[in-house]
Amino acid sequence: MIANSLEIRSRFTRRTRLLQWAAVLLLLLLFVRLADLQWLQHEGFLLQAERNRINVVPVLPTRGDIIDRNGFGVAVNHISYRLTLIPERAENIAAVLGRVQQLMHWSDGRLKSLQKRIAHGRRDRPVLLADKLEWLDVAPVAARLHQLPGLDVQAGTHRFYPYGALTSHLIGYLSLARREDLQHGVLSSEKVGRRGVERSFESQLHGHPGSQYEEVDAHGRRISVFKRTPPRMGERLQLSLDVGLQQAASQALGKRTGAVVVIDVNNGEVLALLSKPGFEPNRFITGLETEQWQTWVNDKRHPLINRAIQAAYPPASTFKLLVALAGEAKQSPLIYGATQCSGFVKVGDRKLRCWKRRGHGHIDLHRALVESCDVYFYELGDQLGMQAISEVAQQWGFGQPTGIKIGPESSGTIPKVGHGQGARRWFRGETMITAIGQGAVTATPLQMARFAAAIANGGKLLKPHLRLGDAVEVERQISVQPEHLAIVRKAMRDVVASVHGTAHRAMGRLAWTSAGKTGTAQVVAEAQDDDKRAKGKRKKIAKQHRDHAWFIGYAPYEKPRIAFAVFVENGGHGGSVAGPIAAAVVRYMANHSKTDSEDKSLHKQKSARPGT
Amino acid sequence: MIERLRRLDALLLLVIVSLAVLGMFTLYAAVHQGGIQLWQHQMVYWGLGIGVFTVTCLIPLRVLALLSWPAYLSALLALLLVPLIGEVQMGARRWLDLGMINFQPSELMKWALMLLLAHWFASRDAASLKSLVPAMVFALLPAALIVLEPDLGTTLLLLFSAIVMIFSAGVPWRWVVYGGLAGLISMPVLWHNMHTYQKQRVLSFLHPEADPLGAGYHVIQSNIAIGSGGLFGKGYLHGTQARLHFLPEQHTDFIFAVLAEEGGLIASGLLLLLYALLISRIINIGLHAATRFGAMLCIGIAAIFTLYILINIGMVSGVMPVVGVPLPFISYGGSALITMLAALGMVMRVAIESRDKLPWQRPGSPFA
Repeated sequence: MIANSLEIRSRFTRRTRLLQWAAVLLLLLLFVRLADLQWLQHEGFLLQAERNRINVVPVLPTRGDIIDRNGFGVAVNHISYRLTLIPERAENIAAVLGRVQQLMHWSDGRLKSLQKRIAHGRRDRPVLLADKLEWLDVAPVAARLHQLPGLDVQAGTHRFYPYGALTSHLIGYLSLARREDLQHGVLSSEKVGRRGVERSFESQLHGHPGSQYEEVDAHGRRISVFKRTPPRMGERLQLSLDVGLQQAASQALGKRTGAVVVIDVNNGEVLALLSKPGFEPNRFITGLETEQWQTWVNDKRHPLINRAIQAAYPPASTFKLLVALAGEAKQSPLIYGATQCSGFVKVGDRKLRCWKRRGHGHIDLHRALVESCDVYFYELGDQLGMQAISEVAQQWGFGQPTGIKIGPESSGTIPKVGHGQGARRWFRGETMITAIGQGAVTATPLQMARFAAAIANGGKLLKPHLRLGDAVEVERQISVQPEHLAIVRKAMRDVVASVHGTAHRAMGRLAWTSAGKTGTAQVVAEAQDDDKRAKGKRKKIAKQHRDHAWFIGYAPYEKPRIAFAVFVENGGHGGSVAGPIAAAVVRYMANHSKTDSEDKSLHKQKSARPGT
Repeated sequence: MIERLRRLDALLLLVIVSLAVLGMFTLYAAVHQGGIQLWQHQMVYWGLGIGVFTVTCLIPLRVLALLSWPAYLSALLALLLVPLIGEVQMGARRWLDLGMINFQPSELMKWALMLLLAHWFASRDAASLKSLVPAMVFALLPAALIVLEPDLGTTLLLLFSAIVMIFSAGVPWRWVVYGGLAGLISMPVLWHNMHTYQKQRVLSFLHPEADPLGAGYHVIQSNIAIGSGGLFGKGYLHGTQARLHFLPEQHTDFIFAVLAEEGGLIASGLLLLLYALLISRIINIGLHAATRFGAMLCIGIAAIFTLYILINIGMVSGVMPVVGVPLPFISYGGSALITMLAALGMVMRVAIESRDKLPWQRPGSPFA
């Protein structure tokens, strides 16, 4: 029994010692594990801890303002607030969005599209939820940010276009970066220029984002900022545009559909580039709401098309200037002689009519241009042939883009006869129709303005440019005899100055003597064969079948400064419809640029903006 | 009086005081950003705990032995009440509402079972089935109730501490082997009956990277905290993981990561050293106890402390599954601290009663 109890005692001691060693050994193993973490793997974990706490946040640049030649802002930045969400920091994205929807009174559709955006974007980058918010709108959310992890309210700026639709086609608008932009280093919360100047001068206007190293806690809240690389701000862009001129043109055009282009004949600066109807660029909020976009897309007046550069129309009688130049260049006999206009010519069994039913009688080049005789140009065209017209037209910039920076641009069309594989059979009558600017020839208002400028400046075909101070780019010097040009110019002057001129009534009594050419493009060909009936029913003709009105020209006649093209879609007669609009343009220019010293005083007043 | 004080175990006291100081500093670091209210609470708990420790030192061991059966039976009764009137917190019914305080009967049972087994083996050794089988019933009965709550962590802790005591009480090696085999065989059965969240914890322990923001998040973040601390730490109150709230439960179960991040391997090694000293000292007191009851008491208490430490630090450093167990004397929490100090009071009582006496030589009644 005693031996047994001694055995019990010693066994207890042995086992307890064993347990003691086991405990110490296990603690030692823990120590080994800790040494592994804290010594051997230390650097890796330190890196992870730093990554945990340090957040690199982009600092967005401020986009450069766009101002007109007199310093008036046409695209500026307004202070506003934006709401962003970093998805990976939100514990429950749906809950956060739901709460924000409640506070901001958002529609369910809006919420859905946001969820889509979030699902497709990167989880560690901020996603823009709403933009252009006034403080009163965001205040309820800003006050509850601590309950809404991942959400942030940032003060920033948004783009504002003081002139709205007036400059919409020229300036364009911004929208959120798309997937293809992200590949160019743009952040998904940034906006990128779409269309117009905003797009073409994107690199100048945009700037480059900076970054900020922030210490954040586990909920993603910023604790402190310890390193900051400032963004490179976007540069200001001064356009050659004169927004006052653009307004004057717009007022003259009124509610009609059309385009007005004014360029400087000496250096190619674009002074006005108007297309109506426009759209309201300030409506582009967080990406445009689809409904608004759809109404614009479906609008029969096509407000999203920039008619000044994207739409090509038959130039009608304005093209006679070109045919006259072609006749001079090719030494056509008719240029030096005259013909008899009896109101029509016969080609085969078809009758081609002059707009003047009674005919112009005995008519030479000068009168044919001033009174816009069709018969004279049918015959001149017939003498020249399509190939010669086409060749000269191309020299003067027809059928090719002007190279203005805010494309896409339509190049218009000029028939090329007998060239290429697709060349079809060409009829004599077609050449004659083309000679009065109908049929197969089309041009954009900008092309027509450039054409007018080239007549005014002695044959320099300029590349129109938009940025004030950009070097003059002469695309080519057209080889044309000065005396030939003088004949055409004189005729253009008399279009305005002569009592017989087609634009005399509209433009005859202005401070600047203008030179120009009217055009009335037929939309429905049948109208010509049955002019009488059509005339009687003029008021009953459906609007979309009415004639297009043109007026192109330059001023002042003596020392040309500006060239212009006015186009009114389905407007009616060129002289009476487009003429007064051109008159408004010339009147504005005459009033605003009398002398250089007055230009200076204008600059001083740049803080006052012309009303919109 | 001085004579009485001389009989206290100085090394044990020193270790307790060291742990108290380390614990106060660590808790302060873990909570100071949210205000020091929690820290102040813990100071109050320490005051209460020292009172309880002192009182326990004054209770003779034979009175403790006398209390073992009532303590065990009332803990068992409370466990039976849990499914009937217990409170549900975080998906498990573990708590009883006693008006003033909520308490977990399973927490009480750990210590009551330890007391009862010490009593049971004071006069018996574990070599005969007659003494072994009842001891196993004492352990398995509450274990079954606790595993149903469900609280797997406490169940395993309870069973392991019972096994340690039975082993120390002299169960033959043969039976140890059989028991081990039986345990291995029961593992798949246990797995099959585990709750989803429990399986999740085990799985996320095995592959924390598989779900870094879900179940594995806690362990990954605490590993980052510990590892980034390096040898010397980031400096007191300068741990970024702790300060910026990347650590979950940083003042309770994951407080070790705060200490390791800010104090480095130096501090975590120091804590482990203190724990090793504590456990060794408790076992040494047990080895030199004058009665077998006192000896078994010390073994049981040492076992519970060891398991707490291994499970907690093992979990925080990613070598054990996540089981909610506090880090002794460091984690925030009043009841755990007070019961642990009470247990150390018992150990101190064993030391006091054994001073200048020979160790026990044979099993005998704790009331002798």
